[in-house]
Amino acid sequence: MFKDGAAKQLTDFLQAVGVQKQSTVTNHGISFLVPWVLFFIGLVVIPVLYYAGLITVGTVNMLGRYMAFAIVAVGLDLIWGYTGILSLCQAFFFSLGGYAMGMYLAHHGGPEGIIDANGWKIPACLYVVYPYKVGEAPADALVPWFWKPFYTLPVTTILGLLVPGLAALAIGFVGFRSRVRGVYFAILTQAITVAGWLVFCMNNMKLCGTNGLTRFDRIAGFQLTNPNVKVSLYVITLLALAGVYLLCQHVVKSRVGRILIAIRDDEPTLRFSGYKPYIYKLFAFCLAGMIAGLGGMLYAPQMGIFTPTNMEASASILVVVWVAVGGRGALSGAILGALTVNLLYNFFTSEKNLLILTWKAEYWQFVLGSLFIGVVLLFPGGLIDLWRRLAGIIRQRAII
Amino acid sequence: MQRVTLFYLIALLFTSFSLSLALPSSAQSSDEFIRAEVRNLADESRSIRKAAVMALAKTGDMRVEAILESFKLGELYLWSDVVVLCKETFEDDDYNEFCRLVDVLTGEPMLDAGGKRYEIPIEELEEISVSRAERKLANNAKFLVRLSSPDNEIRMSGAKKCGDPPGIIESVPQLEQMSAHDSVKKIRYIAKESLLLIRLNQTSLEKDAEPHLAIVSELGNMKSMRGLPRLQETYHELSAGLALPEATEEEATNTYKFAIDQINGYQSFVGGIGNIFRGLSLGSVLILMALGLAITFGLMGVINMAHGELMMIGAYATFEMQRVFGHTPDNPSDLYYVAALPVAFLTAAFVGYLIEISVVRHLYRRPLESLLATWGIGLILIQVVRIRYGDNIGVNAPTWARGGLEVMQDLIVPYSRCFIIVLCGLCVLLIYYLMNHTKLGLRMRATMQNRNMANSVGVNTQRVDRYTFAFGSGIAGVAGYAWTLIGGVTPDMGQTNFIIDSFLVVVTGGVGELIGVICAGLGIGVLTKVIEPMTIGPFVVGAIWAKILLLLIIVGFIQFKPAGLFSPKGRLSDV
Amino acid sequence: MDQTQRTAEYKEYSPRESRLSEERYLLFLEDITAVFDGFKALDVQALGIEHNELRVIIGPNGAGKTTLCDVVSGKTRPTTGYVFFDGADITHLTEEEIALRGIGRKFQTPTVFDSLTTFENMELALPGQYRLWSNLFGSTTKVQEERILEILERVGLIDESHREAKYLSHGQRQWLAISTLILSNPKLLLVDEPAAGLTDAETALTAELLLELKDDHTLIVIEHDMDFVRQLDSFVTVLNEGIIMAEGMMREVQQDGEVIEAYLGR
Repeated sequence: MFKDGAAKQLTDFLQAVGVQKQSTVTNHGISFLVPWVLFFIGLVVIPVLYYAGLITVGTVNMLGRYMAFAIVAVGLDLIWGYTGILSLCQAFFFSLGGYAMGMYLAHHGGPEGIIDANGWKIPACLYVVYPYKVGEAPADALVPWFWKPFYTLPVTTILGLLVPGLAALAIGFVGFRSRVRGVYFAILTQAITVAGWLVFCMNNMKLCGTNGLTRFDRIAGFQLTNPNVKVSLYVITLLALAGVYLLCQHVVKSRVGRILIAIRDDEPTLRFSGYKPYIYKLFAFCLAGMIAGLGGMLYAPQMGIFTPTNMEASASILVVVWVAVGGRGALSGAILGALTVNLLYNFFTSEKNLLILTWKAEYWQFVLGSLFIGVVLLFPGGLIDLWRRLAGIIRQRAII
Repeated sequence: MQRVTLFYLIALLFTSFSLSLALPSSAQSSDEFIRAEVRNLADESRSIRKAAVMALAKTGDMRVEAILESFKLGELYLWSDVVVLCKETFEDDDYNEFCRLVDVLTGEPMLDAGGKRYEIPIEELEEISVSRAERKLANNAKFLVRLSSPDNEIRMSGAKKCGDPPGIIESVPQLEQMSAHDSVKKIRYIAKESLLLIRLNQTSLEKDAEPHLAIVSELGNMKSMRGLPRLQETYHELSAGLALPEATEEEATNTYKFAIDQINGYQSFVGGIGNIFRGLSLGSVLILMALGLAITFGLMGVINMAHGELMMIGAYATFEMQRVFGHTPDNPSDLYYVAALPVAFLTAAFVGYLIEISVVRHLYRRPLESLLATWGIGLILIQVVRIRYGDNIGVNAPTWARGGLEVMQDLIVPYSRCFIIVLCGLCVLLIYYLMNHTKLGLRMRATMQNRNMANSVGVNTQRVDRYTFAFGSGIAGVAGYAWTLIGGVTPDMGQTNFIIDSFLVVVTGGVGELIGVICAGLGIGVLTKVIEPMTIGPFVVGAIWAKILLLLIIVGFIQFKPAGLFSPKGRLSDV
Repeated sequence: MDQTQRTAEYKEYSPRESRLSEERYLLFLEDITAVFDGFKALDVQALGIEHNELRVIIGPNGAGKTTLCDVVSGKTRPTTGYVFFDGADITHLTEEEIALRGIGRKFQTPTVFDSLTTFENMELALPGQYRLWSNLFGSTTKVQEERILEILERVGLIDESHREAKYLSHGQRQWLAISTLILSNPKLLLVDEPAAGLTDAETALTAELLLELKDDHTLIVIEHDMDFVRQLDSFVTVLNEGIIMAEGMMREVQQDGEVIEAYLGR
């Protein structure tokens, strides 16, 4: 078939220019093309459609948010798909990044000129209903110390990566050191996520409680409501996704990737070969945590609000289902899965009149539940695998 | 269904019958006496009126309470030499004010010979004037009535009221009598406590330091909770500087401090035991949840994230039974709760059975995949229940599970929590028996240890799996059934409150042994409830930080015992 | 020589007593017991393996052979006693630390990484590449690649080098496990049942390989297959119910009444 021939040529070309080494580890045929096709669509087609007036800036913004989710999914694929460690605290890392960026944005939003007794600008959401006028604030309405580093964008960016990374380091250290494995680790991380969520929901933690961080106005001086800023954020997210993909691709193609797979297959044996698996697990887990933090940082300005719901236990499992739907053990699958599930969500949470019944947004839970079951029982390889199988069938037909 | 209704009718008949029995039989004969004394309330003489109030108070008839209240409010009138009650008046078209008469004792409308209501012009009624002192007396006498009641509960509340500030001095002789001779120990205690409190008010520290301090020490010895705020108040005044002779002041301070410490020490002791008890009942629910999880994980290597939803189904089955039986807070048909136990078990077991044959059986020894798939099942179950029942429902505890038993002074053990602990104990015994003394148990243990081997010696492992999974699910349903007594019921209760905690129980206890789950469940339950009310400096730990502290403790624990409290050793440990 | 005499001789060389021990013995076990739930799986008073020795451990099922390997490689902690390797006490080290000191192991059921190709399995066994950083940026050198291919050629896995290990047959997996062990070049090789599931020709080749390795390695081989043990023609330790029952050359041990009894049953 022509299409396949073209794909083969392209494969050879890309290999020749060194973009993609032929994977001997997880050979998904031409599936590695998927991210580049998606990247092309994202970087060229979507902006063209927008500037041609065919899609709204709202759609671009939505896609930008889903890309931020895809970044988290790539991180999870590294730790779950390749290393076999099911982490149920990716949403926690995501939220740490999101809160970091959110605190920066809250610093630069809301009414101007409100300062506390120390002369520090009070973020409007810090005191739920701000009772004071510009220029007057009582002595006890102080901005807590942990807000202050998040005043400038560079420091925020560094902390937004560092904080989730350190959190992952701590969790991984206690988990991997005592050889907590498999389901036990999953449960442990979920418990940690729930604990974190409870803390961020507390009103007296000065993290804005369940209302979350609000009143985002400007990022680096640009108005967030400006369509051009929204498109720029979208493009930045897309580039970040590409960067994360390439980084993880490098990791899994290096010998470290092979060690991660060996950990997934048979960790005890690896130990008898002299490797210290927990170093590698810790590395992958921290990297995944930082990647999730990056996703959160990119998500916050595009969403315009950041609440603790992003940290709920179900949010973490949702990340797992993105990867599972896309096909775990293939980084491009994670991207594909995150985008697919979120577009499905977007589709199924709007009310529709079907022939015999009215589809309500609350029915989404049924779709999601079925996705969980279906992807485990029927399509363990996910979309990438399905694509490969379909391509195989077509190829066979073409030969006949 | 018909049989159920019949049951219900019989129960209703029985309860109304026993209620009528409970009425004091002497009441009828003393009606005449009460009417005579009520007439005396309208007497010219102040002393006769006062005597009448006191005499009424001594009857111990609860209807007197209302009469005295009306007397206090000036709603009693004299009409043709009969004391009548008039609560409402109305005007006719000529603006003449009329009054509908009500019988003082029965509270029912008074009818004339023709069966018509008396409607009397207001001018014909003679007002019974009540002085301020009498009003106060009548008010106090209301509580005195309670002291003479044959009903223990009423007598106890009366004794309590008499001692509450400012204290009813008229009750002193009766309280003295009660504190020595009442048949109920608790009432004797309360009467004495009230007596001491009244006396404490009467003897001032400045003038009669010695008897005052004697009362204080006695209150301390009694560990009187009601005395505590009074003692603390005076103690603060003392430390702020009260005009007292120096020797007395020092003695007073010491006596007060000692008494307060005594009471506080006892209260925190009792509070601690109460917390442990709350923890035990929470732990019992966790054990019921964790047992099913541990067994299915041990047997099939499957993590069932929908286990919390099976618990929720048990709770909703209980709610459904309550609806079927028409139970409301006022309708004491407790049978529903008896019927709900098998229903909760069977419903959850049936849903569990369906989950096993549709999804779980494909996922043996794939815990991570089973975690995902069963989470999906959980989402669907939650949404189904949410659409059917809405977000919040209430299950009313049956009447016998309300209230509690006072095992020690101020230590009340709620019946509901006792019931849960007993229920958990019975379930554990049942499981122990099933596992160790039945054929199913033998097959189950065989399958757990070596599936292929069991298969080849003729054990139908598939059937064993199904029954075991259904049984574990049923036990979760029972946990939900028990939980309705002590906590709220929402569709996502399993996902938000229970699944992680019960997994932590399994992680801490290890999957090898029943005893591990039991120890871990009780330990985690008790620790939670003990940590929650603790204070660090000025801060109370509270539920959230208690949860986090507990998690840290568990994480610390698995650093030393990664496989849990009781874990299989040797070759088996690799499996 | 009687076994009690032999034990006494070992004891003289206890590393805790004698400085000579290190020169004579590469591995030395003393007073080792391993108890599981009250069951004594292993009770070795003293056992020494000399430098460049090929020691065969035989014994009926459940004799504690694999447990002995577990104790040496750190998979199981002994309840009491000491393990000395290369002059140092390794009793309380973790598996990876023991492996880094130079003890390699092949398990009874061959353990290879299923999702990696034969070649990649070999790559992971290359010695001296355990650091994260070097694995993140380094790649396999030409020399290393040649060495891998040389071994694969020798055991006949060269055609399978780019197949994932899960598609290999049982015999091939055995070979791969042995190959990775050889490649990792440890001082001491613990080889648990290398001939299980192999054809006669393959068994012979295995024996040949092991004997070759003996020149510059020390080996402990656990085996059931008596023909294979005869081919090795080495010093034999017989374990029974966790206790060393007899030691000596195969032909001597075969004459031992107790050993015959243990194998044939009472």
